Amino acid sequence: MASVTQTVSMRRPRSQVSSVLRTIFGSQESVLLVVLVLLIAYVGHSNSGFLATRNMVNVFAGYAYIAIAALGMTMVIVTGNIDISVGSLMVTLSMLSGALVTYKGYPSWLPLDAIIGISWLLPIVIGALIGAIIGFFVTYLRIPAIVVTLGFLSILKGVLIMVSQGERITGMPTGYALAQRRPLQGLDFPIFEDFFRMLTMPVFFMVFLMIVVALWMRYSPTGRAMYAVGGNAEAARLSGISEHRIVMTAFILNGVFVGIAAVLNATQFSVIQVTLPPIELQIITATVVGGVSILGGTGTVVGAVLAAILLNTITKALVFLDISPFWTRAIQGLMILVTVLADLIRRQRQAE
Amino acid sequence: MRKFVVLTLVLSFILAPLAALPAVAQEEEKRWDGADDLPVNPLPCGDEPAPEPEPKEYDGGQPVNPPDLAGKEITLVDVPKLIGIGYFAATTKGQQEAAEELGNVKVTTDAPTEANIDEQITFIDNYITRGVDGILFAANDPVAITPVLKKALEQGIRVVGYDANSLPEGREWFVNQAEFNGIAKALLDSLAAEKGEDAKFGIVTSTFTTPNQARWIAEMWAYAKECHPDMVWLETLEAQEDYNLSFEQANTLIDKYGDELDGLFGMTSVATPAAADAVTQAGLCGEVAVVGLATPNAMKPFVNSGCVKSVVLWNPVDLGYAAVYVMRQVVDGNFKPGDTEVEAGRLGKLKVVNGSEVLLGPPFIYTAENINDFDF
Repeated sequence: MASVTQTVSMRRPRSQVSSVLRTIFGSQESVLLVVLVLLIAYVGHSNSGFLATRNMVNVFAGYAYIAIAALGMTMVIVTGNIDISVGSLMVTLSMLSGALVTYKGYPSWLPLDAIIGISWLLPIVIGALIGAIIGFFVTYLRIPAIVVTLGFLSILKGVLIMVSQGERITGMPTGYALAQRRPLQGLDFPIFEDFFRMLTMPVFFMVFLMIVVALWMRYSPTGRAMYAVGGNAEAARLSGISEHRIVMTAFILNGVFVGIAAVLNATQFSVIQVTLPPIELQIITATVVGGVSILGGTGTVVGAVLAAILLNTITKALVFLDISPFWTRAIQGLMILVTVLADLIRRQRQAE
Repeated sequence: MRKFVVLTLVLSFILAPLAALPAVAQEEEKRWDGADDLPVNPLPCGDEPAPEPEPKEYDGGQPVNPPDLAGKEITLVDVPKLIGIGYFAATTKGQQEAAEELGNVKVTTDAPTEANIDEQITFIDNYITRGVDGILFAANDPVAITPVLKKALEQGIRVVGYDANSLPEGREWFVNQAEFNGIAKALLDSLAAEKGEDAKFGIVTSTFTTPNQARWIAEMWAYAKECHPDMVWLETLEAQEDYNLSFEQANTLIDKYGDELDGLFGMTSVATPAAADAVTQAGLCGEVAVVGLATPNAMKPFVNSGCVKSVVLWNPVDLGYAAVYVMRQVVDGNFKPGDTEVEAGRLGKLKVVNGSEVLLGPPFIYTAENINDFDF
C-alpha cells in the first residue's frame, strides 16, 4: 500500500504535458485513433495515391461489415463469453439473403420492394434466433460458449456446403444492392464534397450503429449490466442482475449484428458465393485489439470499430508501401499480443 | 585402404551437390511473384501451331481380356465427382450428344450428390458388380480412386477418365481439358486484344504457392517474355479463395496504380468475378479490363453488362463429348497405346500428350455471344 501512495505522490508534480499524454494513451480507443491517423498520414506521405478519395472510401468501407459484427462480439466478450460461429453464420445469412431475393416462387401480387425488404430483414431475424439458441445453451444448459459455438460453426458450415453445393447466386435486382462502394445517392453536399463522398452505405451503417451501441452500453441499465456480469458475476448477482437474461441479450444482439453485417456483405457484390474465410478470426481480432478484454468486463465498441478500420488500413498500407503482404498476419498477431499484454498489466495495476 | 574408401565417400557426399550447383544456378531466374520455379513450356505466339509434343511412352493401364465389342452397342456408366451441379450437368450433356451421334453407345451418369471419394468408390464398385462395358470417371482423389479402377480393368472393363485424373495405371486414357501453357496463352492474348501490347496489369491470385495458380503464372511469365514483351507486370496480390478479400485486393490495385492500370487478371474462379465487381463499382469498365479463369454463371452479370469481354476456361460440354468418343474408339480398336492422335467427331483429331492423355485443345473463351448458352 505504501508503494502505491508513493507513486501517486510522485506523479502529482508532473507537468500538464504528462496529463495530456495520459489522456491520449490512457485508453485503447485513443491509442488506436492516434495510430490510425499517423499511419494514414505516413503512408499518404510516401505514396500520395493512398489519400485519394477512392482509396479512403475503400479503407473505411472495406471492413465495415467486420466492424458491425464486432459490435455484437464486443457485447458477447464483455459478458465473459465468446462466439466463434459468427463467420459461418454470416456467410449462411448472406447466402440466405441472396436466395430470398432471387427466389422465383413469391405470389405475383408481392411487389419487388417487399421482396427486397424481406431479403434484408429476414436474415437479421434468423440471426437473432440463432443467437437466442446459442444463448440458451450457454446460460440455461451451462455449456461453455466456446463449445456451443464450435458446434454451431461445424453445423452451419456443413449445412451451407450441403445446401449451396458450391453454386453462386447472381441476378439480384438493382434495388437490392444496398452496400455497393458508391457514394450515397440523391444527396448534395455544398461543403467538404470529397469527404462526404466517402460516406458509402457500409460506412454510414458502421458509424451510426457504433454511436447507438456505444451510448446504449454506457447508459442503459442492460448495457451497464453486461459490464457488471463480465467484470464480477458474483457481485452482479448479489446486486440483483439476472445473469441469464443479460448473457441471453448479448447473444441475441450479437445475432442481430451478424445479420446486419451479412446483409451488408451480400448486398455489396453482384455475385454471392460461398467462400468460407476465417471471418470469425477477423471479428475477434478487431474486438480484442479494440481493447475489449478477453476476460470480460471492459472495452467499448468504439475501440472495436477503430481496430477493424485499422486492420484494413494496415493490409492496404503494406501494398502501397511495397512491403511483402506476408507481414500482414504477423503484424495482426503482434497487435493482439500487445493489446492483451497491456490489458493484463492494466488489470494488475488495478488489483494492486 | 579403409581410410581411402571413407575419404572418397565423404568427399563424394560433399562434392555431389556442388556438381549439381551450376545447373541449378543457370536455371534460377527471377520469375514474377506468384509463379513457381518448375520448368516452363510456352506455346508459340499468335496462331502458330503448337509444336509436336515430346513423345512419351504410353503409361496407362490396360484391361485384362476385354470382350471384342468393335462396332457393337456398348453400355457405359459415367461417375463424375458429384451430380447436381451445373458443371457436371454440362459434361453429361456432351456425353449424351456424343452417344446420340454415334448411335451405338448407351451412357448413364450416376454419382454421389457430394464430392466424396468414399461414396464415389462405392458407386464404381457397384457398377463393376452389375457389369458394364466401360466406365467414365472424374476422380475426387487421384490416388484413392485408382485401386477400384484397376479392379475394373482386371475384369475386362474399359476405363477412360476426364476432368480429374487418377494415377495413370488406373485408366487407359485421360481426357485432359487444358494444359497450363494453353491457359496462359489464352489469358495474355485476350488482354492484348482488349488493351493492346503495352498493357499494364495486376494479378489477383489465391496464394503465391497454390500449385495450379503458380503454374499458370509461371507459364504466363514465360509466354509474355516471348510474345508480349512490352506488357508491364505491375503486381501480384494474394486473396486466398475469398470473395471479400479478392474484391478488396482488386480495389487496392485499382487505387494504387490509378490511371496506369489497364488490366486485372483473376487467377481463380473467385478472384475473377470479385475483380470484375470491383472494376464495375469503381465505374472503370472499359478503362480496366478484367480477364481471368472463371465459370460462366459467376461471370454472366459482368459479361452481359459489357464490363468483361473474355472469360477463359474450357468447354465442359466438349469435354464430356470427347470422353465418350475416346471410349468408342478404344473399344473399336481405332485408338491404341502408342497412337499420337484420336478422331473425336465434331472436335476433329485430338492430340495425345504425356503418354496416355488426350488433350481437349486450346481453352474455350466465353464471350457475350456464347456465355448465356452455359449453365454452370
